[in-house]
Amino acid sequence: MAIPAPDTVGVPSGAGAPASGAPASGRAVVRDLLRRPGAAIAVGVLGLIGAMALAAPLLAGLTGWDQYSFDPSAIDSYSGGLPRGGWGGISGDHWFGVEPGNGRDMFMRIAYGARVSLAIAISATVLTTTVGVVLGTLAGYFGGWVDTGLSRAMDFLMAFPALIFMIALLSALPGGNRPVLLVLVLSVFGWPYTARVVRGQALSLRNQEFVEAARASGASRWAIVFREVLPNLRGTIVVLATLAVPSYVATEAGLSFLGVGVTPPTPSWGQMIASAATWYAVDPLFLVIPGAFLFATVVAFTVIGDHLKSILDEGAVH
Amino acid sequence: MVGYLVRRLAACVIVLAVVCVFTFMIFFWFSPDPAAQICGKTCTPDRIAQIRANLGLDQPFLEQLRVFVSGLFAGRDWGTGADAMHCAAPCLGYSFQTNESVTDLLIDRLPVSVTLATGAAVLWLLVGVLGGLVSAVRRDSLWDKGVLAFGLVGISLPIYFLALVLQYLLVVKLGWLPFPRAVPFTEDPVLWFESYLMPWVVLAIVYAAMYSRIVRSQVIDTLEQGFVRTARAKGLQRHLVLRRHALRPSLTPVVTLFGMDFAALLGGALITETVFGLDGVGKLASDSMATNDQPVIMGVTLLAALLVVVANLVVDISYRFLDPRVRRGTP
Amino acid sequence: MSSRRFGLVVAVVGVSLVLAGCKGGDDGDGGAGAGAGAEQGGTVHVLLAEDFSHLDPAQGWDSGVSNLYRLLYRTLTATGPGGTDTADDIVPDLATDLGTPSDGGKTWTFTLKDDVAFEDGTPITSADIKFGVERSLDPRIAIGSPYAKTTLELPEDYAGYYESGPLDSIETPDEKTIVFHLDHPEPEFASVVSQAPFTPFPHEQADTITRSSVDTAPVASGPYRVESYDRGSSLVLTRNEHWSDASDDIRTAQPDEFDFTIGLDPATIDERLLAGQGDDANAIGDQIQPATLGRLNAPDIKSRVVSGMTGCTGFVQLDTSKDGMDDVRVRQAINYAVDRTSMQTAAGGPQMAETTTTILPPSLPGYQEFDLYPGPDVAKAKELLAEAGYADGFEFTLDVAAAPSSSAQAEAFQESLKKAGITVHLNSIDAATYYEVVGAPAKQDDAVLASWCPDWLSGSTFIPPLFEGSQIFDQGNSNRSMLDDPEINSEIQRIKSMTDVDAALAAWGDLDRLVMEKAPIVPTLNGNSVHVAGANVAQAFSNPSLNGNIDYAVVGLHDPDRG
Repeated sequence: MAIPAPDTVGVPSGAGAPASGAPASGRAVVRDLLRRPGAAIAVGVLGLIGAMALAAPLLAGLTGWDQYSFDPSAIDSYSGGLPRGGWGGISGDHWFGVEPGNGRDMFMRIAYGARVSLAIAISATVLTTTVGVVLGTLAGYFGGWVDTGLSRAMDFLMAFPALIFMIALLSALPGGNRPVLLVLVLSVFGWPYTARVVRGQALSLRNQEFVEAARASGASRWAIVFREVLPNLRGTIVVLATLAVPSYVATEAGLSFLGVGVTPPTPSWGQMIASAATWYAVDPLFLVIPGAFLFATVVAFTVIGDHLKSILDEGAVH
Repeated sequence: MVGYLVRRLAACVIVLAVVCVFTFMIFFWFSPDPAAQICGKTCTPDRIAQIRANLGLDQPFLEQLRVFVSGLFAGRDWGTGADAMHCAAPCLGYSFQTNESVTDLLIDRLPVSVTLATGAAVLWLLVGVLGGLVSAVRRDSLWDKGVLAFGLVGISLPIYFLALVLQYLLVVKLGWLPFPRAVPFTEDPVLWFESYLMPWVVLAIVYAAMYSRIVRSQVIDTLEQGFVRTARAKGLQRHLVLRRHALRPSLTPVVTLFGMDFAALLGGALITETVFGLDGVGKLASDSMATNDQPVIMGVTLLAALLVVVANLVVDISYRFLDPRVRRGTP
Repeated sequence: MSSRRFGLVVAVVGVSLVLAGCKGGDDGDGGAGAGAGAEQGGTVHVLLAEDFSHLDPAQGWDSGVSNLYRLLYRTLTATGPGGTDTADDIVPDLATDLGTPSDGGKTWTFTLKDDVAFEDGTPITSADIKFGVERSLDPRIAIGSPYAKTTLELPEDYAGYYESGPLDSIETPDEKTIVFHLDHPEPEFASVVSQAPFTPFPHEQADTITRSSVDTAPVASGPYRVESYDRGSSLVLTRNEHWSDASDDIRTAQPDEFDFTIGLDPATIDERLLAGQGDDANAIGDQIQPATLGRLNAPDIKSRVVSGMTGCTGFVQLDTSKDGMDDVRVRQAINYAVDRTSMQTAAGGPQMAETTTTILPPSLPGYQEFDLYPGPDVAKAKELLAEAGYADGFEFTLDVAAAPSSSAQAEAFQESLKKAGITVHLNSIDAATYYEVVGAPAKQDDAVLASWCPDWLSGSTFIPPLFEGSQIFDQGNSNRSMLDDPEINSEIQRIKSMTDVDAALAAWGDLDRLVMEKAPIVPTLNGNSVHVAGANVAQAFSNPSLNGNIDYAVVGLHDPDRG
């Protein structure tokens, strides 16, 4: 879900949401997840990337470089700033090599870039999930004009040429706080994908026995929504959110690639890939390293999302 | 049925109208002044005012919107005397940068985007749907694992990364393909094919990956549903079960998705066209955004929205004819 | 002209080219690759990332389009042909000589050559030049070179041919003679008439040649005409059969056709030029990317490299009206602190740019080499800051275009000032609107990263637009230092009124030093231009008057049948 089509106007697609069912215990789900080798590896990869992001300042102390400082000795200015020594300048000093043209340490740029990418993607996920769940539940449970209004708004946002529009908006808006702006823009076009699924599930829950029982016992509508409906959507929400993170990581990178994302000198993976576009023939590692991290992050989140979905599906079937 | 059609059409028009108003609002309130940009380096306040007047940018928001919308339906006239130009409906205005009619620009650029989208769609449907199908039927086989891996890798590769890597390998390193460019078919069919091959493959990989995942999970869901199990219990052969019972319900959502994806690509594969330098609508979009050419951005946005909305409508209507369950009004 | 192409600036060092003869390529010296020896015929391909700004010479004003205009149009005078001794001079083109001043330089008379014609065969007359100038003064299209407007004697509210009719200050006593009456004495008027707005258009067709028509359907006076133009993707030029070689001492016009492919990715252009497959053997293109520099030493490529100077200066303008920046010690401290070498590396290294400590580029006559603030000298910078009351550091915001080369230079600038305790915040502005934003003093920040290229080789097109107090405008401002200094203003006025052109050129060089003493600007780099030409391309010469671009006027092919 919430994987916008890769190269167009953000029409979403992806596998269906998990069947909603009796909520499995969170601990059991995690246990099941870690028992699956693929998922365990993915969790491990994400753990490493996350740790690298969190520990970036510590790593800076360790390597002696930060994400901004230039190292003119690592590049050959007579070759246009190509890293010395081949292999993108990988050495004991620079574990992932250096950026051509200025000699900034790639490892630190990757680590700080992870902070930026993950912070934006996770914030956007939290925001869209919250908004999507609240509005989706409202639409599904209350129906009527609330549903009509919200559904029209979702239809509208999903028919909107989102990628084009995001770029136009981001290039028009003055500097400001770029990461916050990115989170907002991603969220405006992202919430309907969560809301649509949640709405469908809430709609089907509305007439189930336990909800009707609560209603019969005189519980208020809000109480029903929060005590009966939402807990039953937990599985769906977790899966949607897990699969939303990689789509935002990818979209943020795409926007940075197109030059409307995070502004320099703040590092971001998409921006690094964009700068590598002119260097790929002479310094392929400059393209491959950020590409590999972006790829690994997206794959890991997707694998975890897939496995969560199948665990919850099985739980529902049992 | 007529009532339904009217309601759906009205909804489409509303969506397009809102897209139009929204885009206009962004330009009106947030965008840098295009007049200052056209005015150039030796600008004076007088000339800015004059350019603003020429472009109609001095008008209030609603007036500008009215002029634009009436141009869509009735055409517009520009200039006076020998400079007079008539822009026939549907008139999307003139590019600030090149003074060309936006409608003509879009028509010029569409063939490239259509070629790109169609070729890629053929490839990705073949690979994605067949792959997903076989994968679902032969669950846990080596084939299934391969398709799953392909699906995962394909959806996780940023398209611009894939494009750059393939271009490096196939064109720069191995020299198997020429650098892509939009060669018309009529000019040189062989070169046409060679030029488009890599962009097709790049787009198709990413979409095929997505479709194989969707088809696989849909078919598996369907195969586990009651009516399919019953059919199989009744002793129907496996492939007959698949063909008669499982295929149609599984592929219905794929058709919806395909309609939207394909329509969206017709409106321009922004990244692919930009990376490969193909002069389609997507490249037009990114170029016009790079120069803040508002009428063109507006035109591209509206075209993209129109295509998606129409695709949606066509898919919905065809369901009402094709799928008995929808016709009866059950979800 | 300030460099409109944000790819920016410049580069380099003149790997000076073998000067291969003058016009006329048949006498080639057998030089390899980029050298001489073009034969008549064939198609030269040009690979470009961005489209030309305007086909209308009243509107286009940047080095890329000026080069194209050399193929399409002729003016009374023009820049000499690339690869010759006159490449950085203004030489006669449609005119028989560089004009005759009278009335103390307020009146200029030119005589047209015989045998000059438009693409439809109509002979070019003095009335056509008059019409061209009058047309270009229409405020709706007058966004190009401003010199016609700033030098000619014009009625108060003259609004171009279509609104206000013919001008009295341009006289055409006969078909071959044209007389310009100026607003003030202008010793460099021979250079002024080389500017694109002085392009002739057939005055008898004044009812069909409109404000907007030229931009889509130009009337050629040069050796080529527009065969087809698909904005943003391709431009094809074919021969203007009515152009006569005998009347033209500048253009060799050997190829039968020019075929421009536009909108290509810069890295793709470089790859195609290096690989040189098929038609690409006959191709030239944009300035190469820094990433490609390391591959130019391969034997088969080395001989195809064409380099020269862009003649532009890259700099950081410091807004002297802002708090803190109004203190000359702060501005001097920044000049001491900057590490030009790291900016040079960021721009692509010594092959792409030379560091500079002066405002005028070395290509300008009158250029003097000096360095008032040798550095980077962090101690000196800190000392000056402390004197100015910023012992704890200083902070300011730098505007920068969101383009790779500009960003890279801005980051290097930021990094080098950090060492002196100066914190620079970067404000990235969309490249498309960059010069519009920073051209409005109300919107620009404390400092602006920009560059400037001369319109012709004289300090008069360099110092006044950047530093004259009367040239501070609300829009389209280029005096982004906001400098309005009586001493500098009066010196500029004095030099402008000098009738001895050579003395004036030298005086601009002296003024450079005076301006730098006040440090309203941090000169950083003089760009070089590095191009790669296809193996079959001949006479590819970097022309210093065209910002180091390969001069279209003389380029040709060794073997027209190849490719």
